[in-house]
Amino acid sequence: MKIETKVGILSLTGVLAVVLFAYWVGVLQPFSESYNLKVMYNYAGGIEVGSPVRVMGIKVGKVTAIDFTPNYKSESSEQVQLQVTIGLSKSAWATIKKDSRFYINLAGVIGEKFLEISPGTLESGELTSGQHIRGEDPPRIDQLISQSYGLAGKMIELIEKNEGTVVNTIAQLDKLLTNFNKTMQLLDKTRQNKDVERLVNNAVVISDNLAYLTTQMRGKKAEETYELLHKLLWRLEPLDKDAIKKFFQEEGVRARIL
Amino acid sequence: MIHYLNHSLMGFLHIRRRFSQVIEQIYFIAVESSLIIFACVSFAAIVTVLESSFHMKLVIQGDSMVPGFSALLILRELGAIVTALLLTSRVGAGMASEVASQKVSEQIEALRLLGINPYEYIVAPRILASILGTILLVAIANVISLYTSMIVSSQALSIHPELFWQMMNRFVSFQDFAFSLVKAGVFGLIIPLTSCYYGFTSEQGASGVGRATTQSVVTASILIIISDFMLSAFFSNFY
Repeated sequence: MKIETKVGILSLTGVLAVVLFAYWVGVLQPFSESYNLKVMYNYAGGIEVGSPVRVMGIKVGKVTAIDFTPNYKSESSEQVQLQVTIGLSKSAWATIKKDSRFYINLAGVIGEKFLEISPGTLESGELTSGQHIRGEDPPRIDQLISQSYGLAGKMIELIEKNEGTVVNTIAQLDKLLTNFNKTMQLLDKTRQNKDVERLVNNAVVISDNLAYLTTQMRGKKAEETYELLHKLLWRLEPLDKDAIKKFFQEEGVRARIL
Repeated sequence: MIHYLNHSLMGFLHIRRRFSQVIEQIYFIAVESSLIIFACVSFAAIVTVLESSFHMKLVIQGDSMVPGFSALLILRELGAIVTALLLTSRVGAGMASEVASQKVSEQIEALRLLGINPYEYIVAPRILASILGTILLVAIANVISLYTSMIVSSQALSIHPELFWQMMNRFVSFQDFAFSLVKAGVFGLIIPLTSCYYGFTSEQGASGVGRATTQSVVTASILIIISDFMLSAFFSNFY
């Protein structure tokens, strides 16, 4: 083999090696049909070009570009300033529907950021490639921390401003508690007094008796008795002076006759 | 020395005339060294995988990060530097002794008498051939060593090849590969430049040739390691 041929073969192999590596790391993708989506965010939480895109936890693509879009307005006329373009594989495309949601998530021991897409429902329509979609802005930890700082500051301010009142309130509470304690001690003492004990015991006996009586009064016999008493009273009502007089006169006559 | 650098680089102006010499030199530098270099780089990759697995088990109690780590190390450091050091010892020594013996036997003077610029005739084709050859070798060596480390990690660490590529992809970008090729170009420039310099300044006699060879290998190795450090530090700015 001639020297030139060998050098040529080596050069070709070298170029092939570069192409092969480019294919491995995904710079060249000649065989995969991929779909694009432009996900809009106002805060992207540290996502980078090359970050993986996952559907239901499975890697289906990656972030291909991140652009600032200061003039973009979504359909609901909301200004969204960050456009994250993602490339998706053909196999996963069908699971992403119009009601899919686009989250930015954190995974793994090294804290890798990725874009998670929730699968859409069958009823909602399919997306078209290259469409603009509003993503779910991730919660901002820094904002949360600054807000809690603000809250803590306000609390401190509140306490400092009303220092006198707070101290007064605490003193009052202290007094109240002391008094309550004293009352409790008094109660304890009275419980040990014999007269009081007898009084309480008697009260217990009385209430027991009362309970017995009332249960008796609620029986069937008692009800009959009430009814009879009731009838009797009704019948006794017309018994006034004249009726008695009349009765005695008539009965007196009969008695005399008999 | 400045005179030497100046004339060697000026020699590039007429490099077209020396095309056949460039091809010859690429053959000598790259094709003939290729098998040795690929074998050595593969072994370096195997050692990287096994060592990093050992270290990671010690430090982070698991070797699932080995693919990313070893691939990054191979691309950023090992592929280029192992190739360059091997080339220094094989090609650099050969060039230095060749040029030195030409100097000693007064062939270089003869070239001058014939009206041929010896820097243009000897140094320039070697520099171009070395740069191209080193870049080619490093490109292939990188791919071969990545492939070897994939096989080793699937055999020895039972990391599935698919997982290996996935983990590698998480850390490695095309940028790393491109930077290693840039490094290769710089190392490819250093080797013939030092070798030919020591060849041209060689003293008379067999001992002079021997000394020139030794000095050229030592100097080239040191220059390669220092420039590797500087390039690594410089490239870190791009991440």
